[in-house]
Amino acid sequence: MKILLDLLQQMALASVPAVGFGMVFNVPMRALGYCAAGGALGRGLRFLLVEGAHIPVEWSTLLAAATVSLLGVLVAQRLRAHPKVFTVAAMIPMIPGVPLFKTLIAIVQIQQKGPSDELISTAIASGLQAFFVVAALAVGLAMPGLLFYRRKPVV
Amino acid sequence: MNPPNQTPHRRPAAPLTEPQQREATRLCVETGLMLLQHGAESALVENLTRRLALALGVERAEVALLANAVVVTTLGEGNCITTVRRNEDRGINMHVVTEVQRAVLDAEDGRLDAAGYRARFEAIRPLRYSRVLTSAVIGLSCACFARLVGADWASCSVAFVAAGVAMAVRLQIVRWHFNPLVNFFLTAFVATSIAGQAAIYSIGDTPRIAMASCVLLLVPGYPLINSISDMVKGYINTGLARGMYALLLSAGACAGILLAMSVWNVWAWL
Repeated sequence: MKILLDLLQQMALASVPAVGFGMVFNVPMRALGYCAAGGALGRGLRFLLVEGAHIPVEWSTLLAAATVSLLGVLVAQRLRAHPKVFTVAAMIPMIPGVPLFKTLIAIVQIQQKGPSDELISTAIASGLQAFFVVAALAVGLAMPGLLFYRRKPVV
Repeated sequence: MNPPNQTPHRRPAAPLTEPQQREATRLCVETGLMLLQHGAESALVENLTRRLALALGVERAEVALLANAVVVTTLGEGNCITTVRRNEDRGINMHVVTEVQRAVLDAEDGRLDAAGYRARFEAIRPLRYSRVLTSAVIGLSCACFARLVGADWASCSVAFVAAGVAMAVRLQIVRWHFNPLVNFFLTAFVATSIAGQAAIYSIGDTPRIAMASCVLLLVPGYPLINSISDMVKGYINTGLARGMYALLLSAGACAGILLAMSVWNVWAWL
């Protein structure tokens, strides 16, 4: 089953950056494992939704981030730490870094070489993709607060 | 654990004296400042600061967050104390956020009084992972990013080396206290220059992926997510400031990438 192998590869590859950026954010040692698990789960879920169910990437990202965040609440209450401490690092493998830089580079090229249809469409399309995916990640992470913890703190 | 809108069960019967209220106000503003400096989102900063105030026996507390300052007012017995602290960014540190939160939880449960909380709060030392280890793991992370979009092993190794060296450079520049924008510019230049050599000497079949992956350590992911979360939760002010700063950092990195690409005359990305 090819999709299963791809899924495992995606999950394994995603857990490394989650831990790596967790270390840049100085996540406490005990929570680094949760970063890895969250990164693998989020990226794996998004891969399944995009490749398996053909859901657009922004909506898949939203669902994946919300799932990680909801599970993160359970962990956070046991760990006595806010879920954002480790869930943001878990979102890093889904951050649209390449579209973000592509947008900025295309904008500089437009300034230098003059506007062409190709450059303008690259700038707009990657910029919008970067914005929507980041928004989906942030709203997905906020989901427990928006749905269940409306009047009380998570931890 | 007490919700913020409920009266803490352990609240002292006698109202706070003025020196006590003053000390509680100082503790609250320092707590809020510490959280803001180390990259906590605005909702968490405000929530923890107010809960701490109630736990220390203050009647009511109000917190206002600005892009680079914290304002706390405590009200009690007709007395109103307001104080402001200027905020300077100390870099994201989730260890500090965790420790502060645990101290506040203990104060809320009645295990810490004002003096105990101050001792615990002042003993918090930010955790920093070793620079060599962080650089190696970030190199590995960028190699994984390259692999995720289908680079071959040679290009993954190039991304590993370029990102690892770049991360070491970034951490060193942080120690020299340069402006983060300068740091991102220089780091992006170093990363792209190293990965560009692989394109010049044709190491690996996918040098363009290596060049794109090795600068992903400079994507300001945390500020970007914090920015949107803040705005979703109604903190438009801090959200806009954080979003703008994240964009500026990305622009700094972008300038470094473009300079390196023109110097070595290797063009990737578009």
